[in-house]
Amino acid sequence: MRNFDTFNTMKKGFSFSQAVAEADRCLLCHDAPCSKGCPADTEPAAFIRKLHLKNITGAIRTIKENNILGGACGILCPTDRLCEKECSAMLKSKNLPDGEDRAIRIGAIQRFLIEYAWDTGFRVLKKPEQNRETVAMVGSGPGGLSCAAELAQAGYRVTVFEARPEPGGVLRYGVAPFRFDETFLKKEIGDIQALGVVFKCNTRIEGEKGAEKLLDEGFSAVFLAPGLWKATPLKPDQVPIDGLLSSVDYLASLRDGRLEQTASQIEGKTVAVIGGGAVAMDCVETAVKLGARDVYLVYRRSYLQMPAEEKEIQSTLAGGLHFLLLNQPLDYFTDADNRMAGIKMIRTRLGDVDASGRRAPVEIPGSEWNLDADIVIEAIGNQAEDDSPNWYPGVETGADKRIKANPETGETSIKGIFAGGDIVRGPSLVVNAVRDGKAAALAIQQYLNKQEER
Amino acid sequence: MKSNHTVDLSMDFCGIKFKNPFLLSSSPVSNSAEMVEAAYEAGWSGVVFKTLNSDRIPIIHPSPRMNSYHYGHKRLVGLQNVEQISDRPLKHNLLDFLYLKKKYPDRVLISSIMGFSNAEWEYLAKVSEDNGADMLELNFSCPHMCVEGSGHHVGKAFDLIEKFTTTVKNAVSIPVLAKMTPNITDMTEPALYAKRGGADGIAAINTVSGISEVGLNDLVPKPNVFGIGAISGTSGPAIKPIGLRFIAEMATCKELNLPLSGIGGIETWVDALEYILLGSGPIQVTTGIIHYGYRIVEDMIEGLSDFMVEKGISSVGELVGKANANLKTTDHFELDRQGITQYDLDQCVGCGQCVIVCNDAAGQALDWDETTRRPHLIEDKCLSCMICSFICPVEGLITFKEMPRDWKRREAKIMDTSLEKDLKLSDYKDINIL
Repeated sequence: MRNFDTFNTMKKGFSFSQAVAEADRCLLCHDAPCSKGCPADTEPAAFIRKLHLKNITGAIRTIKENNILGGACGILCPTDRLCEKECSAMLKSKNLPDGEDRAIRIGAIQRFLIEYAWDTGFRVLKKPEQNRETVAMVGSGPGGLSCAAELAQAGYRVTVFEARPEPGGVLRYGVAPFRFDETFLKKEIGDIQALGVVFKCNTRIEGEKGAEKLLDEGFSAVFLAPGLWKATPLKPDQVPIDGLLSSVDYLASLRDGRLEQTASQIEGKTVAVIGGGAVAMDCVETAVKLGARDVYLVYRRSYLQMPAEEKEIQSTLAGGLHFLLLNQPLDYFTDADNRMAGIKMIRTRLGDVDASGRRAPVEIPGSEWNLDADIVIEAIGNQAEDDSPNWYPGVETGADKRIKANPETGETSIKGIFAGGDIVRGPSLVVNAVRDGKAAALAIQQYLNKQEER
Repeated sequence: MKSNHTVDLSMDFCGIKFKNPFLLSSSPVSNSAEMVEAAYEAGWSGVVFKTLNSDRIPIIHPSPRMNSYHYGHKRLVGLQNVEQISDRPLKHNLLDFLYLKKKYPDRVLISSIMGFSNAEWEYLAKVSEDNGADMLELNFSCPHMCVEGSGHHVGKAFDLIEKFTTTVKNAVSIPVLAKMTPNITDMTEPALYAKRGGADGIAAINTVSGISEVGLNDLVPKPNVFGIGAISGTSGPAIKPIGLRFIAEMATCKELNLPLSGIGGIETWVDALEYILLGSGPIQVTTGIIHYGYRIVEDMIEGLSDFMVEKGISSVGELVGKANANLKTTDHFELDRQGITQYDLDQCVGCGQCVIVCNDAAGQALDWDETTRRPHLIEDKCLSCMICSFICPVEGLITFKEMPRDWKRREAKIMDTSLEKDLKLSDYKDINIL
């Protein structure tokens, strides 16, 4: 049996002295850009100052009160696009070279403080008396978890429904374990359980009006945050091929008990991953670590157009894979037994800027070629599950089957039903789902207060 | 060889030639010949050997012996120790003297001694001289000897300083330094006692009595020696300002007029040079070595050499006391000359720390433009305290400029002048004591 310890475990974060040293570099800005850059209002400026002034418990309190998934965000956030983006410690000014110094490693400090709280047994959040209305969360991803934690702290009784065997949603089944591991996730969810939130796993809220019915079953309000769990296929009418995997199922297989099976499927093989986002990077990096012979990342645009975070791309590159930029996959070819044999490709060049704000790929006529591959993983994008609108037929959805909700409050077209996270936004960041959960929790409280007044 | 190695850093001190002004002070870093040899190889020109004892009383060091004083992530900004004088048999130390003088005749071996009686001082002085010591340093200043009647207890009883110095001077012919405690108000006074006793020079400062840290769980001040803490010697960069002050005061005391050896918080050539500019001869180092090892002398030699080349100075002796001409008491300041800060905002990174400190600790002279994230200086409110320049992350962004003589600073704001009717105040009348 293979040893998957390093595959399943994150690298260690900051030690105490490393975190203090990093906090000491902080300029403690008057109006800190970092705090403005956090969608979930985690307030890095406050928690770094507190750490700097040895108010460590206060620093932990700031994070946990603002962002119940502060640990996950510290690890998974593309911080160089958020809190660290405008960090003054980079000493950007007219007469200094750009980025003369690097940004404070806010995410790493944040992770440290959360781990330090666990190591020292410091519990910030206390379970209040829960005697208010019951509220249901559909989905235990970052959106559902943050909404649940907020409501539980306000005295509501919260039940989280999760279709899969364990809670966490994308935090568990959508990310490589060495990027965000089981131990950490369990502790962070444990903090939410300690607030009195009840988790009902293996409980899929589906079927005709499945979600709407919750309102009749005694829940005063419902927060829909089921996420996007269908991988967008290269071709909508694709017939199954042995060796053609979806990113959704592939990544889930690393965490749901099928790791060994997937590992033996990948080991020694030539793997091609189609896509250029964070999910594609996770697929590529895991395939490399599981012992694939060659791993190709096939992307139809070029490096600068990749949605994935720069540091993620870099770490993936360093892992040893082949970038096939400016190549559009057209179709697959198989052997006589319907086993994957490779991708039919055509080369592209970059044309004009398209609706996404990036230069669009333009196919180069006559440049078709075949890439041999034993395994192909499609990591092009995630979308709503096909039958999901039936679970909440009264809730207005779009052509893409995503829920239409008020972006500020999460209110949907049905009173008492709120929604947030990827099912509303489309594929987005964990921290944005946390933000949606917080906002919806506030809106749900206001809604329930009004109901009471009547 | 690089050009700076051709610079002659030698200096004469109490009639002894030192090849450079960098010495180990009497401490754990000069505990044995094995250690001193490594220091000599690194480039130190001499050593004040760890204070000898006469084997009359067993010396046992407390355990643990030291505690670090941290500032943020910065380690060893200060160091507190409860080390005693040498716990080695006198014979072993003297054998080490012979070894060092035989192998390194050009390096200066200074024997630090501490007696408990006239006879003991005399005995230790003689055996030191007899076994090759080039100089003596009388330890009147160790602030944490477990034995009463020793160390800084002597340094605070000035007549004993004179008495023991006289005894030693009568017993030996080599130069004698008196090492002083800073745990007093005025060091020139005991130094003059040492001079009357015949001391050839003064070494200062020994460690500053202090407490570096208190354990918050066990409530024991550190170092925690099995449940007990003690006020004891603090050293390192944190105490450099105190050392510089005492050296400058003694250097400018005309009546004293003795060569000085500066000690206290020296880690770099800059620290050493500051001591020298304020009147020190060869300087002594311990905590810098405890932090970085003997290798720091390489940077002291190179740094001081390059400085001397740059400034066209041919001998370290020229630098001794050079800054004291510009050192006066505060009543000498020209108060009719005033200035303010000036900001080179092209370099500004927009952190706004200046705005915070100016509002909370100075003249409220800075406005903050939230759109551009830049400070705006209200010139006539600037106190020229310069605090903003200390916390600004960009070197040279905030500087001082003198204002014209007719420039006036605005008075601090009065919140509510209508309260004047409630004011209980009459003019102060100077009482004529004649």
